[in-house]
Amino acid sequence: MQVFVDSGGSRRVVARLVSLTVASGLIAFAVVVGGTLLEVW
Amino acid sequence: MRRAPRLHWISILLGLLVLMSVVSFHAYTAIRPEPVQHAREHRELPERTLALAFHGGPDPKWTPRLLNALKESGVKATFFVVGTQVTRNPEVTRRIADEGHQIAVDGFRAEGDWVDPHNLAFAQAALADVLGAHTRLVGAPVEVDSGDRDHQDIGTLVKMSLREQRGVVRLHDDGSIGADIARELAKAPGYRFVTVTGDRLVEATAAERFTGAVTAWSQRNGGVVLMLLGTAIAIAALLGLLRTLMQLGLAHTDRRLRREGEQEPPPWIAPPVSVVVPAYNEALNIAATVRSVAANNHCAEVEVIVVDDGSADGTGDRAEELNLPGVRVIRQANQGKPAALNTGIRAARHDVLVLLDGDTIFEPGTIGELVQPFADAEVGAVSGNAKVGNRRGLLGRWQHLEYCAGSNLDRQILHALRCIPTVPGAIGAFRRAALTDVGGVSDDTLAEDTDLTMAVTRAGWRVAYRQQAKAWTEAPSTVRGLFRQRYRWSYGTFQSMWKHRAALLEKGPMGRFGLLYLLVFHLLLPLLAPMMDLYVLYGFLVADAPLALLVWTVFLLLQTASAGYALRLDGESLKPLWAYPLQQIVYRQLMYAVVIQSLITAFHGTQLRWMSVRRTGLLTEVPGGTVHVT
Repeated sequence: MQVFVDSGGSRRVVARLVSLTVASGLIAFAVVVGGTLLEVW
Repeated sequence: MRRAPRLHWISILLGLLVLMSVVSFHAYTAIRPEPVQHAREHRELPERTLALAFHGGPDPKWTPRLLNALKESGVKATFFVVGTQVTRNPEVTRRIADEGHQIAVDGFRAEGDWVDPHNLAFAQAALADVLGAHTRLVGAPVEVDSGDRDHQDIGTLVKMSLREQRGVVRLHDDGSIGADIARELAKAPGYRFVTVTGDRLVEATAAERFTGAVTAWSQRNGGVVLMLLGTAIAIAALLGLLRTLMQLGLAHTDRRLRREGEQEPPPWIAPPVSVVVPAYNEALNIAATVRSVAANNHCAEVEVIVVDDGSADGTGDRAEELNLPGVRVIRQANQGKPAALNTGIRAARHDVLVLLDGDTIFEPGTIGELVQPFADAEVGAVSGNAKVGNRRGLLGRWQHLEYCAGSNLDRQILHALRCIPTVPGAIGAFRRAALTDVGGVSDDTLAEDTDLTMAVTRAGWRVAYRQQAKAWTEAPSTVRGLFRQRYRWSYGTFQSMWKHRAALLEKGPMGRFGLLYLLVFHLLLPLLAPMMDLYVLYGFLVADAPLALLVWTVFLLLQTASAGYALRLDGESLKPLWAYPLQQIVYRQLMYAVVIQSLITAFHGTQLRWMSVRRTGLLTEVPGGTVHVT
């Protein structure tokens, strides 16, 4: 078994969830802020 | 193999974009340009009716004084606010609104800059943050200038303000005169005071308030972010400088000691040597590799064992067809490089083993040079000098420069510190006893050479570097191939560091210097260094472009000088140095990406397989090469 390898895969699932949450959070952030600013009141 | 994780790149790129936006926005708000006047349509007011329009605020000192004066006089005015001032003075802004005055937008950084839609959006965002509302009144209509920017005499100002006996009067609340003139105008007999329009504030949506909070936070805290960025850059710059100084200093010392040693060289030794060549799908290069080894001028027996690790391209056949004396081919089902190496080591008859990849070309004197450090009984392994064989094209030149200025110079430093962490798979020699001590080659990591070297050092053996023992290796010829190779190296190095982390608590040099060196210069520095690129980009785009250019040029000159010195130490031509500045733009960032990707993969715990590099057989171009692929 190689070093770092997570045989059960739970770490990968958690890491993916974190990545997904952070990425979608940042996308939502960019869309809301960018969209609101570009909308021009 | 599971697919390497990728999603994090979206987060990283967006995160960097947000970071850049925050510091850029902060820099944007820090500058207050000259006011500009853009009058909107004429606002018709009845005879003896005035609308007092205050510009340039809110101001923390003068606007409250003005508000007091207006309150005493019972006059309602219109405040054409500037967005950055709203964020700086939220309490004053709220007081203006609370006391029933009209709030309008005049701009974001300066009076009248609302004509730029971005400034208007930023100003409205500032209002949304402070008041939870935005305004419909944007930009002042045609105004009667009170002259308060040019005159100080109250009598003159009142006369100028009343000269049309009606209309919107342009005043300012960012100076002391605003309150005085308002008090005097309020006393003018027979005049009625109104706001510019009857529009009231409109409640902001949640998105508007959130956006306002973000822009306000960026304006207030962008400086802190910039300072943190600056700290990271300073650490990266210091580390980079420290590494360069260590490289130059230690490499110089190492070379001096070696020269001194050459004046009274130890007796030349010539032990019999077993050469092990693990090969998987190396049909294009294996013949050249085996021929080059067989053509050695070592003064003792040299046996060559090619271990064909289940190749599908006839690698074993190509080696056998050569029919060279002393060359054996062992075939096995594909089990990976460590297993192939162990097979070769078990089959080897001699106590000194030279291990090389199936894409490497030896010079005739390489084996003889490589085994010389074994004259010292404490030496358990020797690293040779791996050089890029295919140097044509930008990518080849870049890798050649990196091998000389990075890897080999690093190896000289670490040789001086007695903690070389990697005897490269391309060219290394081991004492059988050292290999036996560590139980052979392990498949715990993707960088079996680093893992093996660390294990040998921890077992108490010394690892030496023999610069004169040169091997020419085929470097990846595509960016994708290079990324895959470095990804494996970097991930494998992290695996080895983690596997041997206990060395940090041990007495040997691997923990004291080797692991720390790798941790600082192969992990921390590549993680911090992108900040420098980001800062230079920020400097060019937002801040002081000439200063950014100067910093970047000085940094580049230092690096180029260091690379030039490394080339000289290695006896190489300085010609490829012209490609070095370009390396800073693409190649360096690729190397950062490799480190980040490796680190993320480690967190994910993904099982990566050996990623082979596509071979081209370009080793026929080896400088001075006498060996040809047949």
